[in-house]
Amino acid sequence: MSEKTVTLAHGAGGTQTNELIDSVFKAHFANPMFTGDDAAVLPQISGKIATSTDGFIVSPWKFNGGNIGKLSICGTVNDLSCMGAKPLYLTCAFVIEEGFSMDALEEIAAAMEKTAAEVGVRIVAGDTKVAGKGQCDGVFITTTGIGEIMPQAHTSGTLAKAGDAVIVTGDVGRHGCTILIARNDFGIESDVDSDCAPLWETVQSLYDVTDEIHVIRDATRGGVGTVLYEIAGQSGVGIRLDAASVPVDPRVKGVCGMLGLEPLYLACEGRLVIFAPQEHAEQIVAKLRAGKYSQNAAIIGKVTAEDAGKVIVETEIGTQTILPQPKGELLPRIC
Amino acid sequence: MNESAIRAKEIIIGYSGRPLRIMEVCGTHTHEIFRLGLRKLLPPQIDLISGPGCPVCVTAVGFIDEACWLALEKGCIICTFGDLIRVPGTEMSLAGARAKGADIRPVYSPLDAVALAKEHPDRQVVFLAVGFETTTPSACLAAKQAKDAGLANFSLLTANKTMPNAYQALVGSADAFLYPGHVNAITGNATCIRLCEEQGVSGVVAGFTASELLTALAVTIKLLEEGKTFFRNCYPRVVKDEGNPAALRMMQEVMEPCDSEWRGLGMIPASGMKLRAEFADYDARLKYNMPVITGKPNPACRCGEVLQGKIRPCDCKVFGKGCTPLHPVGACMVSDEGACAAYYQYS
Repeated sequence: MSEKTVTLAHGAGGTQTNELIDSVFKAHFANPMFTGDDAAVLPQISGKIATSTDGFIVSPWKFNGGNIGKLSICGTVNDLSCMGAKPLYLTCAFVIEEGFSMDALEEIAAAMEKTAAEVGVRIVAGDTKVAGKGQCDGVFITTTGIGEIMPQAHTSGTLAKAGDAVIVTGDVGRHGCTILIARNDFGIESDVDSDCAPLWETVQSLYDVTDEIHVIRDATRGGVGTVLYEIAGQSGVGIRLDAASVPVDPRVKGVCGMLGLEPLYLACEGRLVIFAPQEHAEQIVAKLRAGKYSQNAAIIGKVTAEDAGKVIVETEIGTQTILPQPKGELLPRIC
Repeated sequence: MNESAIRAKEIIIGYSGRPLRIMEVCGTHTHEIFRLGLRKLLPPQIDLISGPGCPVCVTAVGFIDEACWLALEKGCIICTFGDLIRVPGTEMSLAGARAKGADIRPVYSPLDAVALAKEHPDRQVVFLAVGFETTTPSACLAAKQAKDAGLANFSLLTANKTMPNAYQALVGSADAFLYPGHVNAITGNATCIRLCEEQGVSGVVAGFTASELLTALAVTIKLLEEGKTFFRNCYPRVVKDEGNPAALRMMQEVMEPCDSEWRGLGMIPASGMKLRAEFADYDARLKYNMPVITGKPNPACRCGEVLQGKIRPCDCKVFGKGCTPLHPVGACMVSDEGACAAYYQYS
């Protein structure tokens, strides 16, 4: 029997579109707000609202540790979480290539359902388009989310201050490395898995320690190194990075060694970089290490008033150098 | 740091003798020296200069033009080590050719290119064979595999280089060389020993960890202080005097010496490797009856002098202005192992 696939008719707006929506999307995303109307109607939210949107075109669509569906939920959930916002509602738009496997689509929707349920976020609206063969690659997903900012939360990339500790919530570069392996372009085998994870609970746990969280940023494309430069620039501060304390999985270290890549510049999809006053740092790390997605949390550096805009590395021979900035195309289509 | 590294660091910091010029020949050393901030330990009278040991940096402009010709005029899939993609040719880089529709693919190993040719029997695949003794054996293995499999859609565009004659061209550039450990692991130490005994060229084979680099540098300083010419192998865990006979045999079997153009150093006799006549079917220049393509480097670029240690990257007028890692004018700004890229990124 030939495999069932998505056809142009599934995107034509008729019976088959409804079938696709009913059999795949409604089956997985069902909740009282996901109706057949043109827009979802949501209850009033009392606090400040955060909103974010993100497109996902990762290739391959499935990788060790996740798939594009899980990634599309985690990406927007994490963007909201970084602003101290509890993710409440998501919308999702699919662009599916003609001929894409229906089973694969089902698997993607199931991953979205599972991840959304874990966070407690509801998918309330969606859209499906089918593009002709070759007009897109497999499936592209865009998710938009809204969340309610916790009253005590006040974070921004501009708020890092001299004296802050820089904390990372786990080992770096796993997602980028996983996609590199999954593409099999380099003939390297490794069982490295993506760190792709929803981080709302992780963010919430920070506020159990202190409300003085200055910056939370998820290190996606460009990795932790890029985040450090972004924050140094936005806040007008310098950052001292202790290279030896950056957690890197030995498998990632191995692959990076072979390919001459720097783990600090490989994408993560489940890691936060946090800037908070030094006096809370140890406690924050202890709290994070008890969390599901942040067991390898570590303090990796500190913020200085001097060297504004620069990231300075303390090296193993006791000198200081500038962390080189990433350049050009490292890996296309990682998220 | 272990105890010997701490001791080595003390020797380096404490040096107070005559001015010394030490050249790290290898691009990986250049990169590691910058990554470790090693120059910051050096007293002012020690000048550590970067030599021509980055395979991307010494690849001539014309080679990129040849690759672009194969990609655009002949429609070949070009497989290459990633760094080469952004090296400027006369008119464009391989990235530029890709923007014009060429099929350019980064690979990790030449054998990946052979596999690609097997997967695409309807396409012609060309591997860009650059590099020193460290990478040449794998290119030879690829040619051999392709020949054994009777592959008709795979060939190599060669610009492989060997170090011994380049050392000759560099004699006098420095008081001592830090020899590239990975190259010596293949070639053995005979050339370096001969340079020492016959021409009075001093040098030390260095490894790549912080401790190995500090040790090699400290040994070099100590021996230079003594004033005699010397050769030392400070990377004995990997480098044996006889080198790697299997890799040397493989190169011998598939390739033979030829004159080769080095960016910056010009044509150096017998410093390159090309496929032997038995492998002519796998030589892209012969297979596609390639016209003579002579590259024209950008006249503003002074990579050549940088590669010989004559000037520092920042002495070049376009450094950091017209020429940056994102928009390189010269090859030394492309690879992480290039002296200009390293200077730019770490300053």
